[in-house]
Amino acid sequence: MRERQMRPALARTRASRVTSTLARLRQETAWLLFGIVVLAAVLVALFGTGDQTQLLFSTCLFAVLAYAWNIISGLSGYVSFGQVGFFGIGAYVAATCQILWQWDWYLAALGAVLAAIVLALPLGTVMLRLQGIFFALGMFGLSRIGALIATSTSLVGGSMGEPVPMVGTTQETALVMLGCAVGAVVLTAWLLRSPLGLRLLALRDDEKAAEASGINTNASKVIAFCLSAALAALAGSLYVWNVGFIDPGSAFNNTYELQTILMVLFGGIGTLWGPLLGAVVISLISNALWAQFPQQQQIILGALILIAVIWMPGGLVSLFQRFGWLRRRPVWGPPPPIGTEKRLPLFPVAVGNTDESVLCCQEVTRRFGGLTALNRVSLEARSGRIVAVIGPNGAGKTTLFNLITGFDRCNGGAIRLGERLLNRLAPYRIARAGIARTFQTCRPFPSLTAWETLLLPALVASASKEEAIRAAAQMLERLALRDQWDASPESLPPGQLRFLEIGRALMLRPRVLLLDEVMAGMSPEEIRLIHTLLREAVAAGCAVVAIEHVVPAIMPIADHVYVLDFGTTIAQGRPDEVLRNPAVIEAYLGTGEEEPVNA
Amino acid sequence: MLQLQTYLLLLLTGIMWGGVYLLMALGLNLIYGVMKVVNLAHGDFIVVAGLLAVTLYGAFQAGPVLAIPLAALLFLLVGLAVYRGLLARVDTAGPQGELRTLLITFGLSSIISNIALLIWGGQYQSVPFFQSSVRLGSLFLPESLIISSLVAFVLAFAVQFWLIRTRWGRLVRATAQSELGAASCGLNTSRIRLLTFALGAALAGAAGALTVVLIPVQAASGGFVTVQAFTLIALGGLGNYLGALLAAILLGVIEVSSSYFLGASAASAMIYLIFILVLIVRPQGLLGQRGRI
Repeated sequence: MRERQMRPALARTRASRVTSTLARLRQETAWLLFGIVVLAAVLVALFGTGDQTQLLFSTCLFAVLAYAWNIISGLSGYVSFGQVGFFGIGAYVAATCQILWQWDWYLAALGAVLAAIVLALPLGTVMLRLQGIFFALGMFGLSRIGALIATSTSLVGGSMGEPVPMVGTTQETALVMLGCAVGAVVLTAWLLRSPLGLRLLALRDDEKAAEASGINTNASKVIAFCLSAALAALAGSLYVWNVGFIDPGSAFNNTYELQTILMVLFGGIGTLWGPLLGAVVISLISNALWAQFPQQQQIILGALILIAVIWMPGGLVSLFQRFGWLRRRPVWGPPPPIGTEKRLPLFPVAVGNTDESVLCCQEVTRRFGGLTALNRVSLEARSGRIVAVIGPNGAGKTTLFNLITGFDRCNGGAIRLGERLLNRLAPYRIARAGIARTFQTCRPFPSLTAWETLLLPALVASASKEEAIRAAAQMLERLALRDQWDASPESLPPGQLRFLEIGRALMLRPRVLLLDEVMAGMSPEEIRLIHTLLREAVAAGCAVVAIEHVVPAIMPIADHVYVLDFGTTIAQGRPDEVLRNPAVIEAYLGTGEEEPVNA
Repeated sequence: MLQLQTYLLLLLTGIMWGGVYLLMALGLNLIYGVMKVVNLAHGDFIVVAGLLAVTLYGAFQAGPVLAIPLAALLFLLVGLAVYRGLLARVDTAGPQGELRTLLITFGLSSIISNIALLIWGGQYQSVPFFQSSVRLGSLFLPESLIISSLVAFVLAFAVQFWLIRTRWGRLVRATAQSELGAASCGLNTSRIRLLTFALGAALAGAAGALTVVLIPVQAASGGFVTVQAFTLIALGGLGNYLGALLAAILLGVIEVSSSYFLGASAASAMIYLIFILVLIVRPQGLLGQRGRI
């Protein structure tokens, strides 16, 4: 029986290993092709005509801009309509350095990049608090302000512009720009295989869930913003070097912004090769159109966009991805097999002795306008014990969790983890301090694989990369998800998705685990599996607080029960006592006549 | 005394310019409110309607009285065609959907403005209508500004009335608040979206045919108009009609007075600055509601 179950699993691993090897080969093919293209470009730069070299330069310029935009808008999900502002800043700083202080072009470029980073740091910190279209337009406004400042300053030419000493030939500038484009590709490839990239993809998918996994989303976003600004500024400084002129109209050119966005979307947003494909294809097409139909060029480009969006929503890259090409490789996968001697305890002992008070909420109050969602609610979680919080809809259970994990702030009362006051801490700090949670409705990261979903919090909680990989691999095995390690959460059935979410919380090695209705809608078999998992965690000293609607599902394992109704605690105590409490029966279970539950 | 008069004039013209901006943003606001689609071709609709009015004037000496209904009708049809042919073909939900609609309307904008460039060329054109000034005490106000802003406020209130008091308006608001909810109550939401888009386009057409008497347009100025209109509705809280009215007046007064005191380029910097400040302090706009987590 056991054997028969094992064999298909084994076959599946082998098959998946074969496909993953094939996929890797295809990935290497992509790099090989990229190398050939770069080589061809070098030859064009060296032996091509002036026009060809200039075309190469502008293609590479747009490739760099496209990658810059892709980092903040594609990987991090913050669509910006003003990244070209950093292009302008780069151009101006470089021009100033070259005109006023006679710096060499590379020093000027370095200065431009540094200036952009120094500027992007405070700007990003403020602007990235905005969401969606507001961030996009706020950035647009900023780049307009930059253009107006450049127009009104008399430093380098003002609104009329000023020539910049041209020292480089077209060939040189094209070669340097090509080098920058290659650098941008490599930077993005590195990002997509690094923990930072993992964090960006996670926060793009769900910022709250990323915070709950212990990720400082603000810091990650700002880093991405600075990287993007630096790339754009680099492009700007080289642009000045190439054209030998600086003026506000071309440095803060909106058409560049739109063309860049178009290229990324046409190629495939958020992918490694999309921006490059988009930049090359659109540049070549618009160049050819310019020669053939100078009048109708923009019309044809516009029509091309419509066609691309309607027939090819994922961009050019999605066409290749349909055949398994150019897919993103999971970070540090596949999970390595873990030998028995190397196994770490899956639940490292969190607290020394059991039955010690870990989490303590004292008289917590939360009001939403006139509604008091929680009124002086107190709750204590002890290590090695399971506390159940039950109550009808709207009783304030999830609000309590949001307060504990910092997603919401109390109007009164204190929440302590051990001795530490949590009231004012950011959610990611609370998660790192040792409180992990799940959400009422699953909040997976659709862009990450199951393996990466576990790796993400493991990297937060572990001291080293090896330890994180080992812990995540072990958890994957424990959750019986090893075969689906590279599956997207969206393809997992609901039960497994729940397990993955509990696993994600457990990877933080929490001292307190908050579960928000994890057993809702689960089969008895799955509930049994969760019970086993929870007992393991509790045996290691973890304190569990579980909100549950399915009362029979939580009662058998709960040590202590709180009953909430209309934001107040109406009863607490041992499960059997509480269920006999008349107030509970009346408030929560309705009539007092019948047998309350079939527990 | 002279000081007071200057301030009064600035305030009055500011409010009137606010009305004109509101008129140019009405259609965009309606479409965003219901469909959550930012129509980047909005400014091009306005510009083409304006150029059409110029041609009508040149050919038949026809004033805005004829041009406005014609342009509105034409862009109603354009709106129907764009929705049926383009927007209905893609999935517009979620952040990916938002990008898709932005891209489609951006492509459309590029097509329309360049066709307009082929037809009308790149010069600024205007309709010389309502060129006299009205004397108000010791103040002089251009007639075109007064008429435009009057029509703007009337149209804004008409749209508001239509949304709140009529059956169709109720259906539109229901769809705006929850498309799923509206659909499960048996509303044909795709037809309501179609209607809204066509109406928004028609409003843009009407606005273009009227404001061309005040603001000279050129084939490529659509992008700027779109940005201006978007700034306004974002300031008011996207899709919020009362907020847009407030924002329009605020923007008009600020622009007129800062261009009087600081000069034209500082005035446009001022608007962006205020826009960003408002976004940071109140990201939901002046009257917008904060979304729930």
